Amino acid sequence: MTTTTTPRRLLPLVEPEDRRESPDWVRISMASALALRMRSGRFARPFEFGGINLLLNYASGCRSDCSYCGLARTRPGTYEDKSFIRVEWPLVRTDELVGRMARYEDRLTRLCISMVTHGRAFPDTVEITERIRARVSTPLSILVAPPTLDRNRLEIFKAAGVDMIGIGLDAVTEDLFRHHRTDVPSGGGLSWEQYWEVVDAARDVFGPWKVNCHTLVGLGETDEDMIDLFCRLAERQIFSYLFSFNPEPDSRLGDRPKAPLHRWRRIQLARHLIEDEGFGRDRFRFDDDGNLVAILGPVDDDVVERAVASGIPFMTNGCPGPSGEPGCTRPFGSYRPSEPVRDYPWPPTPDDLRRIREEMRLWEVYPPAVERRR
Amino acid sequence: MATVTVEGFPVRTEFSYDLTHHMWVEELGGERVRVGMDALGLETSGTLAHLMMVEVGTEVARGEPFGSLEAEKYVGPLVAPLSGTVLAVNADAVASPSLVQSDPYGAGWMVELSASDLEGERSGLVSGDEIVTRFAQKVTEYRLEGVLAE
Repeated sequence: MTTTTTPRRLLPLVEPEDRRESPDWVRISMASALALRMRSGRFARPFEFGGINLLLNYASGCRSDCSYCGLARTRPGTYEDKSFIRVEWPLVRTDELVGRMARYEDRLTRLCISMVTHGRAFPDTVEITERIRARVSTPLSILVAPPTLDRNRLEIFKAAGVDMIGIGLDAVTEDLFRHHRTDVPSGGGLSWEQYWEVVDAARDVFGPWKVNCHTLVGLGETDEDMIDLFCRLAERQIFSYLFSFNPEPDSRLGDRPKAPLHRWRRIQLARHLIEDEGFGRDRFRFDDDGNLVAILGPVDDDVVERAVASGIPFMTNGCPGPSGEPGCTRPFGSYRPSEPVRDYPWPPTPDDLRRIREEMRLWEVYPPAVERRR
Repeated sequence: MATVTVEGFPVRTEFSYDLTHHMWVEELGGERVRVGMDALGLETSGTLAHLMMVEVGTEVARGEPFGSLEAEKYVGPLVAPLSGTVLAVNADAVASPSLVQSDPYGAGWMVELSASDLEGERSGLVSGDEIVTRFAQKVTEYRLEGVLAE
């Protein structure tokens, strides 16, 4: 006699990957996972790190399809397998993460939730903010997804305990934005106007120096485009946070090279001079192609040299910690550990500064004092 | 072949170790030795992304790098536990660094050397009964340092 037995149906012991969605699950940067001891590992150079970055997670992924992004809809691979900023972002339970934050709160400097363009992103971000705020008082930023927001929703973020808002503009001109983020193969494009509406609303709701725009160097912009935007944002007391384009393998820009180091360093310096030293557009000269060809510092006060010597222009731009110190430092975020450091998550050492000066070739755009006085 | 687990990490007790740099040595007969990285060294490096190693025929000195290891947030040297000439490089490991993490004492070996002073340098390695104790001490150190997941 042959008998057939129906296999006993067992409940899954582990929640399937596609059910591990926000708000109960989030991704965290690998650096955050190391800092909270959720993963083993170390940094290439030991330093105090406390900037924790969270990313919403949905099985259906981000609705956007930006040309340079690891999470883009048309980038090959399932959303679960996609890297973001080239490395794995571990998926963790939100409540376990908040517990870790509470345990290590004394060493945390800044928390940031990155939204993605998704229909549930707003309520889930509020929910995660509330769970964090119930147990942890470290300053909290949100890198927002403008298509999911309006002024009222920004006010809800503020009421929930968020103190800074970031807008990932990335492309610094309307044409570039359209090319990389609006006219895209899938998912519907993003709107330059809508991004700026959210910048304006965030500035109104959160106040001066509480809003930042992410700007990505290496998408095809000129130095002049970049510096123009830095000046416009600084006039409105909005921070520019600099990022170096780092090609994400298999993305539409996977083969595009990074910005040359000398250009990247000069843009870092220019941003600092504009934001921290009050330089205006008239302090910079450009050639017909928009390349920076001269920085015009005051003859009797070498503010440019002082800025370089401080090392501060070359450190990561990010939201501050509780005492105003760099809070979000994104170590090895836009370069491999074996590559030259693009933005320093620690104060540059004398050796770092010597390397920075060589990389920047500042003398090409800012001659020594003797020559400037001639 | 004896593998024991020390504080959650596998250790091959018939190998010798440079526990400062987390390299193991397997004596293959004569002067020939095989070298790899132990499981604790790999764990504290993070997820491996790239391995680079010197070419066959290169002479290496004990304590000097024969290559480098790069993980997501870390890059560091692979330090020779013995002096000698490189006889073979594990091309599979270079092509797929994950192999080193999945099988560190087997298929994830790194190089084979003709040791130039095996008798003289062997005493600088940890072996025998000392392995488990010293390995456990390193785990404790790393827990205090905060480079091991909890």
